[in-house]
Amino acid sequence: MELKINGKTHSVDVEESMPLLWVLRDELNLTGTKYGCGVSSCGACTVMLDGLAVRTCTLPASSAIGKEINTIEGIEVEGGLSAVQKAWIEHQVPQCGYCQSGMIVATEALLNENPNPTDEDIDQAINNICRCGTYPRIRAAIHTAAEWRAANKNLPG
Amino acid sequence: MTNNKKKKGGKWTRRAFIATGGLAGVGLVVGVGGTLYLNKKIKEYSGSGFGEGSLLNAWINITPDNTIIMAVPRAEMGQGVYTSIPMLMAEELEVEMASIKIIQPQPEPAYANTTVLVNHPRDIFKGMSFMEKIAHFLPLVATGGSTTIRDGYDQMRAAGASAREMLIQAAAKQWKVDKSQCYAEKAYVINRATQEKLSYGSLAEAAAKIELPGIPELKPQKDFKLVGKPIQRLDIPEKVTGKAEFGLDVRLEDMCYGVIRHATYHGGQITKVANQEEIEKMRGVKKVVLLPKGIGAVVVADNTWRAKNAALALDLQEIGDNTLSSEKINQQAEEVIANKLIATPLNKGEASDVLDKAETVLEGKYDVPYLAHACMEPINFTVLVDGDKAEAWGGHQGSSIVLDGVNAATGIAKENITTHITYLGGGFGRRAEIDMVLNAAHVAKEMPGIPIQLVYTREEAMRHEMYRPLVKSHFRASLNEAGVIEAWENKIALQSVMNSSIMRIKPAFAEAPKKDPLSVEGAADLPYDMNHAKVAFGQLELPIQVGSWRSVGNSQNAFFTESFMDECAHAAGQDPYEFRKTKLNSHPRFLNVLNKVAEMSNWSTPLGEGRYRGIALHKSFGSIVGQVVEISKIDEKKFKIDKYYCAIDCGRTVNPDTIEAQMMSGIIFGLSAALYGEITFKDGEVEQYNFPQYEMVRMNVAPAIDVHIMEVDEYPGGVGEPGTPPAAPALTNAIFAATGERVRSLPLKKHGYTFV
Repeated sequence: MELKINGKTHSVDVEESMPLLWVLRDELNLTGTKYGCGVSSCGACTVMLDGLAVRTCTLPASSAIGKEINTIEGIEVEGGLSAVQKAWIEHQVPQCGYCQSGMIVATEALLNENPNPTDEDIDQAINNICRCGTYPRIRAAIHTAAEWRAANKNLPG
Repeated sequence: MTNNKKKKGGKWTRRAFIATGGLAGVGLVVGVGGTLYLNKKIKEYSGSGFGEGSLLNAWINITPDNTIIMAVPRAEMGQGVYTSIPMLMAEELEVEMASIKIIQPQPEPAYANTTVLVNHPRDIFKGMSFMEKIAHFLPLVATGGSTTIRDGYDQMRAAGASAREMLIQAAAKQWKVDKSQCYAEKAYVINRATQEKLSYGSLAEAAAKIELPGIPELKPQKDFKLVGKPIQRLDIPEKVTGKAEFGLDVRLEDMCYGVIRHATYHGGQITKVANQEEIEKMRGVKKVVLLPKGIGAVVVADNTWRAKNAALALDLQEIGDNTLSSEKINQQAEEVIANKLIATPLNKGEASDVLDKAETVLEGKYDVPYLAHACMEPINFTVLVDGDKAEAWGGHQGSSIVLDGVNAATGIAKENITTHITYLGGGFGRRAEIDMVLNAAHVAKEMPGIPIQLVYTREEAMRHEMYRPLVKSHFRASLNEAGVIEAWENKIALQSVMNSSIMRIKPAFAEAPKKDPLSVEGAADLPYDMNHAKVAFGQLELPIQVGSWRSVGNSQNAFFTESFMDECAHAAGQDPYEFRKTKLNSHPRFLNVLNKVAEMSNWSTPLGEGRYRGIALHKSFGSIVGQVVEISKIDEKKFKIDKYYCAIDCGRTVNPDTIEAQMMSGIIFGLSAALYGEITFKDGEVEQYNFPQYEMVRMNVAPAIDVHIMEVDEYPGGVGEPGTPPAAPALTNAIFAATGERVRSLPLKKHGYTFV
């Protein structure tokens, strides 16, 4: 099957039911998207599918055919890190870092939908698990990223 | 020297070790850590892994283009050691953080962590203990017990200072001036008189040949440029792009993926794979490997998902105890408390007698369940066996444990094994275990020439763990009219973490002390004034494996003791803060932390209607942490956790931003356990499979957290774990304030409490 990932088309020979996560990780070596639970509970495997955040550990790869898949590897913008990534550095969010790909991708999708989310919006949209407990800094970083995107000003970093 | 508090004793002091270990030149063989090794030619470090450049000591290598390569032989699992250890060296070496590159060295004696073995701040060491000698001899190169800074605070600065001194002497020699005419700044040595500069890179080769007679004077704290100031972590940029490599991200040519099925019953055995041929015909499957002693079976395939599906399809014949249940375990624990206590680590006065005669006795029977570590990155390791050599890749808290595991499973000599330690997707004690290395190495040995990435699915990782043990703690106390604690008695029953861990990691030491001191850490060393006090414990014998879980014994003992202190305060009719405050007469550091967190939270000012607070104070791993939590009552048993205030005294700081992050992390880790965490057994099996049954605090429940770091000029304490212990009792004390219900058994969810 053919999959369009981060703007590039990849051809893979896999079962229709193979979850997209394992196509990304084991067939294409795009290891930024993480395996956490395998049951769409933790969100470590989040990518954007046509701009919407989806959990790929239970999503058959075949259902992504013809759609735009964007992984953490495709989040950077022209000229470097995205506002979200820069806000993550500004607030020193990651600890072990394992869940952060999923957190960042979920945040990009949230801000595309809702450029100025309230704390309640964040609670609703970002329900990924972080075992290190980086939530307070994630919340702060999301607000900062929203401000930077709105102002479209020169980003630090 | 800024630290003059450390006790000395025996023939070799810690300082002596630094002087020898820190100053070794290239290839210089030195005896480390005491007379035990002076007669043995132990090569401290090989210098492998640094690449080109000149090695000034075991930790610092400088290339001609002035890149500073530093060895960080500790695991980066989110606690920031890839930044804090280089900061300590950079402070004395006089280099900027931007010029530093980090490598993970091989586990060699120079990199031993002696502090990890004893779980205490170093200043209580009395000379060279047996365990310190063992740490070097093995060597034990490991990260745990919140020891990295405690072990490295002086040693790493000494490594930086020694290298700087060697560079200055090399420059002085070149300029033919006295070394006092030279100083170091930003990776250059500068001639005071002429202002000429020589880069470290140009001096390193000559400097590496210089041997120093002793350790240079370390900077006084007031002159620190880096240490103690918040800086951005070096590992974070690659953690926001997905480029950071964790164990599961290792990709090698021809690599295959193995998925494990453990024997279903704890302590059980797989005797046969009944459908092996059928499984080996499935798409992508290469081989089915039965692990030694039938502890598990592994399906190896060309893709993790294919291996997982095939592993689930395995038809296993098994033997084991299918009657083990939480009910039985609880009964055994009750029996241990009633009849089988084996040690009394604290016995001041006549506590039991006083209680037996007292008119009014306060009683509280507490318990906590087994807990899984549930690291976000499922357990894994990658091993390649190639002829008489092997390589191992993955995130691990002990590079020397990796070496031990590959050696034990394959028989390949340790000098022919290379370790590659990646980032850890969470550690919390789980990644100090050896099982994943042994299992991966065994499969790799069966399939030589093929790198094998062994993966535990989330379900396997959760159901076959080295759990925080189930623990019971039964209290009695009596108070006088003024609220003075006349007598305090605490009887504890649990499985021994130490005995269980040693059996796995160093079976040769299985005859180690049976009376596990970790059982009472945080229970037998309370700071509060008590006239009579007794703490005793006994141990359960079960086939369940137990291990170190972030803050270990403190994880349960702080919940028990700080809850029961609240019960005492209530019985005395006193405010919980004031009650504690009057009992800290001989512990000013505790009192300062308690007062600070009370001040931060405006403790004496009542909260609005429907809002309540709880307080807890606990010392672990050399640091004292006080917490106050504010909660809002939404419904009878429905709450919102609004905010934690957290004050920490961890002595001198290295990177305060990391300390704040670790406090937040520790609190939320403790909250997940307090709210939801519970591993239970039924019919010999663990009942929880995955996050839906073993829930975690998520964004919507996570409170705001306000952290204050006390300014205390004392030797550093740990920060990775001490944030966790007070989180649960602070919350249950707040729930008592809100409802009048004293929660003596975690998690809260089983009492019907929900949180939004």
